[in-house]
Amino acid sequence: MQQPSTDIVLRTFGLSKRYGRRLALDGLNLEVHRGRIFGFLGPNGAGKTTAISLILGLLRATQGHSEIFGLDSRTHLPAALRRVGAVVEGQAYYPLLSARENLKVWAALYGDSAEQRIDDTLDLVGLATRAKDKVRTYSQGMKQRLGVAAALLHDPELLVLDEPTNGLDPAGMREFRDLIKQLGSSGKTVFVSSHLLGEVEQMCDDVAIVKSGKLLTQGSVVDLLRQGEALEMQVTDTEAAMRVLNAIDWVRGVIHQDGRLVVEAPRERAAELSRALAEQQVYLSELRAREGSLEDFFLEVTGEETA
Amino acid sequence: MSLKILGIELLKMRKRWMPYLLFLVMVAGTAMIIWGSYGDWASNDSENAPTGLRSFTLPWSLVALVDSGQFWGSFLIGVLIASGVATEYSWGTVRQALIRGQTRSQYLTMKLLGLATMSAVLLLVALGIGVLFSILATAIADKPITFDVPGGPSFVETVLIILRAGYGILPYALLAFALTVVSRSTAMGAAGILVFIIGEAILGEILRNLGGPAPDIRAALIGPNVSALLAANTIGSAEYNSLAFRELPVASDLPPLTTAALVIAAYCAFFLAVTYAIFQRRDLGVESGGG
Repeated sequence: MQQPSTDIVLRTFGLSKRYGRRLALDGLNLEVHRGRIFGFLGPNGAGKTTAISLILGLLRATQGHSEIFGLDSRTHLPAALRRVGAVVEGQAYYPLLSARENLKVWAALYGDSAEQRIDDTLDLVGLATRAKDKVRTYSQGMKQRLGVAAALLHDPELLVLDEPTNGLDPAGMREFRDLIKQLGSSGKTVFVSSHLLGEVEQMCDDVAIVKSGKLLTQGSVVDLLRQGEALEMQVTDTEAAMRVLNAIDWVRGVIHQDGRLVVEAPRERAAELSRALAEQQVYLSELRAREGSLEDFFLEVTGEETA
Repeated sequence: MSLKILGIELLKMRKRWMPYLLFLVMVAGTAMIIWGSYGDWASNDSENAPTGLRSFTLPWSLVALVDSGQFWGSFLIGVLIASGVATEYSWGTVRQALIRGQTRSQYLTMKLLGLATMSAVLLLVALGIGVLFSILATAIADKPITFDVPGGPSFVETVLIILRAGYGILPYALLAFALTVVSRSTAMGAAGILVFIIGEAILGEILRNLGGPAPDIRAALIGPNVSALLAANTIGSAEYNSLAFRELPVASDLPPLTTAALVIAAYCAFFLAVTYAIFQRRDLGVESGGG
């Protein structure tokens, strides 16, 4: 896991988008640090694609703006975008051209160095053997990979991927996650939107959660998971144990669940809990740490049933 | 860099069937003009029909070809442009270009230049094939193949004949471009230009027959000004066998050539300004709304 950097490559300032009476995005403030894989998580319709489209200049912001590499998007967007590789939602390729020709089209916008990288990029995404076939004959997964190849063509510093695993089968999704991790470990900053919690949890260093156009929270995945950590215990006297535990100020909550107590507390303080209970003649018959999951955290902050 | 992007625009069009289909229609048109005229001439008392002879021999056949080319070319190039622009929307590739740092103005300009280049190539090759048909028909008729006739055009005048016809296509092509950029639809762009040309012709006829300021209003339409350009292409007083569905222009009824050129330029500038202004402000999000 890489450490956060103070070097912010993408930042939004109160980014908002209104369609008539509907506020699709409401004052989004994000910070994406260099070298991190940043998950942009939210249910379908949360405003993720709108936010990405605003950042990339495809939509006009109703209010607010963004900065990419410190460049104000209102005045320096084309220069900033030349350092960004992006895959936006929806099909975006020339179906009558081959993969190589599609990449040649996009490479022309960057210059000779990008054109020289076409073969390497096709190889990286596993399309080298089908490079001469027309893209209309490709499966959904191959088209997705072509999109990533196009985004990587000019060796960008920042990758922006909007729901990149949509339409992929489980094996394809796994391959894709590995590719993203590989890119992240090579020092690139990756901004990836998804509505799949597991995907974000497995891939990302940092995460922001949006719902109904509003940012609910953002932080490192490790920190967010830590908030979901708990201790599960079985005790000799449940009611007495709950009284004792609720009196401890650093215990965030106690729930009686399936004959066990679930104590929301840092697991490194398990010994202190055990001692506090023992002092009141309440003894543990079982104690184990429960890992926090992003799903639990997501459901807590969004109030969603499922995501 | 710009030349490379222009080359890419041409590559994209070369891989589609639409330009080839439109080219076949153009070639079929030239064949109808030349071989139809030759057939008429050959089946009549050919030696005593100089007017019929002029309908398929050079240099008069050139005028017939460019006149027809201007009329039908306006439709066909409109369809080509509508298809070339609208599919970039439907495939989502317009967004791909813009997220790579190409400005909206650059995108439109390169698209326009690519379409203009492809259109010019298609029209000129079709014209060349028409001229070839004319030379063949003249040879079969055992007549001299020459531009050296009374009132015949010099080389420069020949180039001007072609340029005037091409300039006559330009406002319709730019209108098709504007309609497609605004509507994002091939059907709207192609049908729009068709409706405009037919509607404008009907309106022109109505205005011509009305009194008061109506004829002045008519003179501001695109059609009469294009006719004024094409009228300057006439060689001698000979009529030609055009496939254009319009009355052969009456000189007294048309604006002066310079005025016509300026009016057409003004239309072109207006269509371009509208197109760029709308595209510059337009949201280009995923149609589905996305997440």
